[in-house]
Amino acid sequence: MAVIRGTKPTRAVLIQLRRRIKVAQSGHELLKMKRDGLMIEFFEVLTKAKTIRQELVQDLLIAEQRLNMAKGAEGSVAIKSVSFALQSEPSVELDSRNIMGVVVPKITAEAVHKKMYERGYGIIGTSASIDEAADAFESLVDKIISAAEVETSLLKLVDDIDSTKRRVNALEFKVIPDIKDTIRFIGFALEEMDRDNVVRLKKLKAKAVKRAKEEEAAKAAAAAAAEVGSV
Amino acid sequence: MKTKLIPNEMYARMLSMDVTEIARYLEETQYKEEIDTLSKDFSGSELVEHATFSNLAKTYRKLQEVSIDEPRFLILEYLRRWDVWNIKTILRGKFYGASSEEIMKYLVPAGELDVEFLEGLTRKDSVAEVIQALDGTDYSPALAQYDGVMLSSVENALDKLYYFRMERAVGGTLSVGGGLLLKYVRREIDIRNLITLFRMNRAGIEANIIQENLIPGGKLHDELSRMAGQPFGEFIRGLEGYPFWGAISDIATADLDSISRIEARLKGYLVRYAWAISNYHPLSILPVLGYIVSKETEVGNIRKLVLGKSAGLSNELIEEQMVVA
Repeated sequence: MAVIRGTKPTRAVLIQLRRRIKVAQSGHELLKMKRDGLMIEFFEVLTKAKTIRQELVQDLLIAEQRLNMAKGAEGSVAIKSVSFALQSEPSVELDSRNIMGVVVPKITAEAVHKKMYERGYGIIGTSASIDEAADAFESLVDKIISAAEVETSLLKLVDDIDSTKRRVNALEFKVIPDIKDTIRFIGFALEEMDRDNVVRLKKLKAKAVKRAKEEEAAKAAAAAAAEVGSV
Repeated sequence: MKTKLIPNEMYARMLSMDVTEIARYLEETQYKEEIDTLSKDFSGSELVEHATFSNLAKTYRKLQEVSIDEPRFLILEYLRRWDVWNIKTILRGKFYGASSEEIMKYLVPAGELDVEFLEGLTRKDSVAEVIQALDGTDYSPALAQYDGVMLSSVENALDKLYYFRMERAVGGTLSVGGGLLLKYVRREIDIRNLITLFRMNRAGIEANIIQENLIPGGKLHDELSRMAGQPFGEFIRGLEGYPFWGAISDIATADLDSISRIEARLKGYLVRYAWAISNYHPLSILPVLGYIVSKETEVGNIRKLVLGKSAGLSNELIEEQMVVA
């Protein structure tokens, strides 16, 4: 039996603990529901994350392949300089959304996909392989941004599921049993006190009866003695 | 000259070799000297890339040295494309802050501008200084279009200037085979414009922007210009019946996955055309043109082969990108 330390076995505390256990039990139910909800959401996001990760790897391979083909067609320095020719870099906007109390990021990117003539290189003197490499890398950046959003959401969900699980377990295996034990302890203690009081009262009563008897006996003896004296 | 080129059937064998084997094979060809010289500085795909570029420059310079009078003038005009290539490479290198040594590795001094002059340009501190150093040359009107933000306008202007000069130079020749050479130059302009149309129509770009990126001149300029901005399927259907259609008919569909395959096919078509006209007048500039075009194609193929191999690309993919006449 694990009783909450420093608890005074009084009726007031007992009432307080009974209220607390009700709150703890309803909290436990709610947290269990939240944990289950988060788990369902987690598996949905996990499937999405797996798909995006696979697509990301695929896109990376395609982008590398296209880059190598462009290097073959144009030479390495042309590719390097073409990549530096871009002036307007993509911007990323961060927002947040709420999944059952868990705040997850919402990332939106702007200006990732550019029109061919906005990329900064001359069209006439370059080959289609450069466009294809640029297209592939733009898709890759898009995919990386989606993966960042989904994978961060996944990590946040895992963290929250973990803490919710800890709270559920703490309530289930520690807080609620401890309160129950303490209530039981206070119950026993109050019963014991009641019994003590009964015994004490009985003893007091016996003493009082005895005293009354003795007083009566003394009074009777005094009366008898007074009678004898008058005679 | 033709015997010095790597035969087409050899590419199939080279596809089954690794980079070291290809380098070893190239040592048995005209690239031996460059591979031996550059092997102390480079290895693997870099060695092959630089050796082939170096050999290309040497070969073209030799062609300029052995030719005289009008053929020399025409060869030089044709080879100015390497001056344009070098200027663009230097501008690009300066644009992103590459060192002089790094830029020099990718120059091909096969045109009129010699190594010393190009090296001087690479030592300039900025794009503006390079443009200033070229002030007064034939390229300054094109270079004046630099807006300080993007190189694309300058690059396009340089390429347009090159083709304008080339068409004008060939158009004014009285040499034997001059007419065929002009036909070739116009066809090259058409093919370049056609590739631009493929790229930009596929990307759904507005007609007026595409038209700005077309090279003036060529035989089909007006017809191709009208195709700018057309829906891709309609554009493809519109190409049926043109002389180059046979080279791309089996892969040119509305759901085409790679324009670079079309580009390789069209370049192959152009090389075949150059070879075909080179046989008409054996004592004219035409056989030299055939050789120049084939040599450039050969170097491009070797580079694609070696870089593709070292990057682990599949043989099918490398083969698709190679230009085989």
